[in-house]
Amino acid sequence: MNENPMLPFLGKLVEVRDLAAEIKLFRVEMLNGGGEAFRTFQPGQFAFVSAFGLGEAPFGIANASGRGPAVDFAVARLGSVTTGLHELGEGDIVGVRGPLGNWFPMKKFKGKNLIVLGGGIGGAPLRPVIQHVLDHRSDFGRLTILWAARRPDLLVFTDEYAEWRTAPDTDLHLTVDIPDEKWSHNVGLITQLLEKISPPKENTVTITCGPPIMIHFVTKMLQEKMGFSPKNNYVTLEARMHCGMGKCGRCNLGEKLVCVDGPVFNMEEVGGLLETFL
Amino acid sequence: MSQTNPDKKRWLISQVELEAWLDGIASARTLIAPFQESGILLYRPVSKSAEIAWHGQTSMSVHINRPVLSVKEIFFPPTERLFTIQKTGQEIHLEETFPDWETVVFGVRPCDARGVKLLDALFLDTNPVDSFYARRRGNTTLIGLACQELGPTCFCTSVGGTPDNPRDMDIMLYETDGYYLVEAVSEKGRFLIPGGEWKETTASPQQTTYNRQFPVLDKKIWPEHFNDEYWLRISERCLSCRACAYVCPTCRCFAVRDEMVKPGEFERIRCWDSCAGENYRRVAGGHQPRAEKSDRLRNRIYCKFYYYPEQYGLGASTACTGCGRCLDVCPVGVDITEVLMDLEKPA
Repeated sequence: MNENPMLPFLGKLVEVRDLAAEIKLFRVEMLNGGGEAFRTFQPGQFAFVSAFGLGEAPFGIANASGRGPAVDFAVARLGSVTTGLHELGEGDIVGVRGPLGNWFPMKKFKGKNLIVLGGGIGGAPLRPVIQHVLDHRSDFGRLTILWAARRPDLLVFTDEYAEWRTAPDTDLHLTVDIPDEKWSHNVGLITQLLEKISPPKENTVTITCGPPIMIHFVTKMLQEKMGFSPKNNYVTLEARMHCGMGKCGRCNLGEKLVCVDGPVFNMEEVGGLLETFL
Repeated sequence: MSQTNPDKKRWLISQVELEAWLDGIASARTLIAPFQESGILLYRPVSKSAEIAWHGQTSMSVHINRPVLSVKEIFFPPTERLFTIQKTGQEIHLEETFPDWETVVFGVRPCDARGVKLLDALFLDTNPVDSFYARRRGNTTLIGLACQELGPTCFCTSVGGTPDNPRDMDIMLYETDGYYLVEAVSEKGRFLIPGGEWKETTASPQQTTYNRQFPVLDKKIWPEHFNDEYWLRISERCLSCRACAYVCPTCRCFAVRDEMVKPGEFERIRCWDSCAGENYRRVAGGHQPRAEKSDRLRNRIYCKFYYYPEQYGLGASTACTGCGRCLDVCPVGVDITEVLMDLEKPA
């Protein structure tokens, strides 16, 4: 590790492609010391990506460590750093600081059924979970994916749905708030889709990522309508953060810090605090 | 209760000896001391003791008028360069520079030294170590000056401190009838003391008396007050101006961003920030948790008395040092001691 933990590693963009409207996938090959730091990382961890000259921002790592040496990030063009990243192309250099934060306890999930609920770009940090399950398929029970977005053109990783659908013991359910004329799947909020499917709670854990309001209503429904124990509901939270190492103070959730105590939380530990996040 | 150690080696020196000593320090190292700048008292580098904001011949003006900003800025400056960025075509080159000059700070008040100790818990004692803070801290010696009385807004005694507490200093000075009683507190401090030249003494420092005490809720009780309507009421007048955080010896939130030096050359900097600010939590895309100022004021107070102590293992300690600066600067009179008293009252 560098003496200065704020100093990023350099990484080369080896692939940049459109993932959805205003959302791009950046595949980074780490250079120099970064290769060792990112030799392995866990589903749920995040990293800061720098657009040098504009700044850096945190992103959930969007691929499983076992899927090759590169590191994927899904970036929605929203602020100055993400706009700067969107202007970069293959061969350009970015900074990467990480891997940071905790992760989904995949070992603990062995033998269990998994329900993965992703909303919009919130699906990005869940893709490594899906990839990990598919790569170790016999370790897990049924995998149910609920994938939502405001509009069809905002759904991420559409080119991978075929792989997910055809994997053994795996279901994919799609929903959008505002369909277009070609849309043939569900219409409505992810909570409506969840209620419709009503997967059994036995031997099952849920993993949710999306806008804070979605996380709030999904976990509420899981617990109040479907009888899930909060300890079987995992969420990954996003917060504005500037260091990712428990120093800058920005991402607190009560006495917890999203960067070092999270971003993955069990609802049993953060249940009451989540409201301060809305 | 005095925290002074009866076994500590002590010396009694005159104002002349003190100034000669400080002049010697200033010639070899950077000496930082209370200094009048644009009419306000600040900790600033001085080239000789005569530049220090002394008051009269034998005592210091700072005995009640503590500097407007704490010594925090010496270890954690308002703006700090983390590295420079050179962009040439597709090439990126990063270069680091670290601060490594030796500094002695004179005239540190016990509340401020406490503040530094509290920042240590975050920047030094919690991994990863902050390399900038660590360099400055390692190269700095704190010479304290006991307060002879509590200032009008001081309340260190309510948060585990005393006006003459030497525990967080390297060297402690107590003013006494035109003389200074000098005590070496740490090894680092002992190193700065000119052994044979000074007259040793067996005298003990006179304790500062005080009678002001505010109630501080036990940490366990804080969560019960989180949803109190009180926070709406007390924050009604808050302007979210963040002056409280700016002068606070323990507020340490920072923002990181890139600034252009010239085309192709940038600096990644960090600068002070505060949870009281309106956009502090706003994420790209517009979502803004803690949108109400009551949420933000509550967060700042909780950070001092509950969150920070929990996060960085301070035990029963608070992250407030009782320096009272936030009371001095708040333009609308939000008073943390009033909050402490209000919380103590039955709902």
